[in-house]
Amino acid sequence: MEDMWIKFGQTVICGILLGGMYSLIAIGMTLIMGVMKIVNLAHGALVMVGMYVTYVCATYYGIDPYIGMFIAMPVLFLLGCLIQKYMINRLVEVDSILPENQVLLTVGIMLVLTEVIRLIFNSDYRSVTTSYSSEAIYIGAMSISVPLVIGFIIAMAFTFLLHMFLTNTDLGKSIRATAQDRDAAVYMGVNSSKITMITFGLGAALAAAGGSLLLPMFYLFPDVGHLFTAKSFIITILGGLGSTWGAAIGGLIIGLAESLGATYISMGYKDVVGLVIFLLVLLFLPGGIRSLVKR
Amino acid sequence: MLKVADLDVAYKDVQVLWDITFEVNEGEFVALLGANGAGKTTTLNAISGMLNVKKGKIEFLGQDITKMPGYKIAELGIIHVPEGRRLFPEMTVRENLEMGSLFPEAKAKRKETMKKIFEQFPILEEKKNKEAGTLSGGQQQMLALGRGLMALPKLLILDEPSLGLAPVLVTQIFNNIKEINNEGVTVLQVEQNVVQTLKMCHRAYVLENGRIYSQGTGEELLNDEHIKEAYLGI
Ligand SMILES: Nc1ncnc2c1ncn2[C@@H]1O[C@H](COP(=O)(O)OP(=O)(O)OP(=O)(O)O)[C@@H](O)[C@H]1O
Ligand SMILES: [Mg+2]
Repeated sequence: MEDMWIKFGQTVICGILLGGMYSLIAIGMTLIMGVMKIVNLAHGALVMVGMYVTYVCATYYGIDPYIGMFIAMPVLFLLGCLIQKYMINRLVEVDSILPENQVLLTVGIMLVLTEVIRLIFNSDYRSVTTSYSSEAIYIGAMSISVPLVIGFIIAMAFTFLLHMFLTNTDLGKSIRATAQDRDAAVYMGVNSSKITMITFGLGAALAAAGGSLLLPMFYLFPDVGHLFTAKSFIITILGGLGSTWGAAIGGLIIGLAESLGATYISMGYKDVVGLVIFLLVLLFLPGGIRSLVKR
Repeated sequence: MLKVADLDVAYKDVQVLWDITFEVNEGEFVALLGANGAGKTTTLNAISGMLNVKKGKIEFLGQDITKMPGYKIAELGIIHVPEGRRLFPEMTVRENLEMGSLFPEAKAKRKETMKKIFEQFPILEEKKNKEAGTLSGGQQQMLALGRGLMALPKLLILDEPSLGLAPVLVTQIFNNIKEINNEGVTVLQVEQNVVQTLKMCHRAYVLENGRIYSQGTGEELLNDEHIKEAYLGI
């Protein structure tokens, strides 16, 4: 009987901790969606590239993943800015192409990133092991793995910093303003093209951060990105499109659902739980968590 | 201060403005009048860099701004309070005002200007932590004006600030605008509220079907037979 509760408690805690890292990735997608009004289907690929950067730092240069992420983030910020400015933005300038088709372009970007990485690293499964990879903290009889705890704490810290940035700096406010009314922002003197570029870069950097934090727990291979695109998309819908807080909470819920699914249904079906939640939200709460708070 | 010369503007292949020529002098209150679809908003958007101009020239303080991007035009001091207010609905009143003062000069005086705006519109101070989307129509218009003023504009462009407001509120907003102009801000205002606008502006231009149809001082136009017939229903 007691064992059952220990198992349950452990499952819940691990799920929420894992979810914190999903949140970070999904917030990146949400920011991009808010400003550009598109679903960035290359988001998971950006997570994947970020993970490879951290992987290379760890494997070839012996840099701890939690430090390597501070290399991966600026690298992905830059990559995101370049992709936005020189690829996605190009489409915006052509009148005859519908803005919706930017989404198709993000699929193309996803393919390119995935294949380039495959070219360099081939399709092998890779992983990063650190001294603490298999260590655990004990709360009573529950054991929680150390990378989960560290990852969650760093993810929450980033979420908090991002919140401060968005609410307390002119640049952050300009990003929110552009998301809410692009033309009005331009009337107030916001360079909306620059803001769009920075937002895409920021989204990519958050993807890299989330990916790096998950690296000690996930196998790394070029196609791992699809998994993260799907997860972030589900979380974004669950949170209420464009709502950063919604995405933060949505991430925790999906992490929790996966963890419960893995423990009580089967490891192989854990992703299905997320999809079921996704369908239920679409059916019964199309506005997501955001719409609950609003009313 | 602002000179618009021979302006033609088209949306894709549909031309909506022809040979628009007018000017606004420093300190003036100029109105741009006309019926629905006459091209008033289009004219304003061409000035503030939101549209591509087909032909013609727009000059501000001696500088050619015809092809300048919108955000740079704002930096020069042309601040556009758009039709329908276009606030940032999920940002607070205070944040909306802050968004008005992004450029260094305005930012340096942010606190000071905000204090002044709160004196002019006490209701905004009361609601400063409320989201803009929760304000009433009149309050939203005050906020839109306030947000524009936060930029310390040289030329304030107002597109139908009376739209959707009850008559009492219209009078109040018009008084506010007059006050702003008296303090030295040049105003270019688009209106459908013809009589009230003609009574308070210095000069006005009348747009019809995308062309400047007539112009004159407020008084002259109030007595113009065609204007009386077409806009005043006399
Ligand atoms: N984005 C657009 N695309 C195509 N045509 C447009 C667009 N905006 C306006 N028009 C057309 O241009 C003409 C002028 O419109 P504009 O909005 O400038 O008129 P307005 O004088 O501001 O009218 P209102 O009093 O209704 O605001 C109209 O015929 C309108 O249908
Ligand atoms: Mg109009």
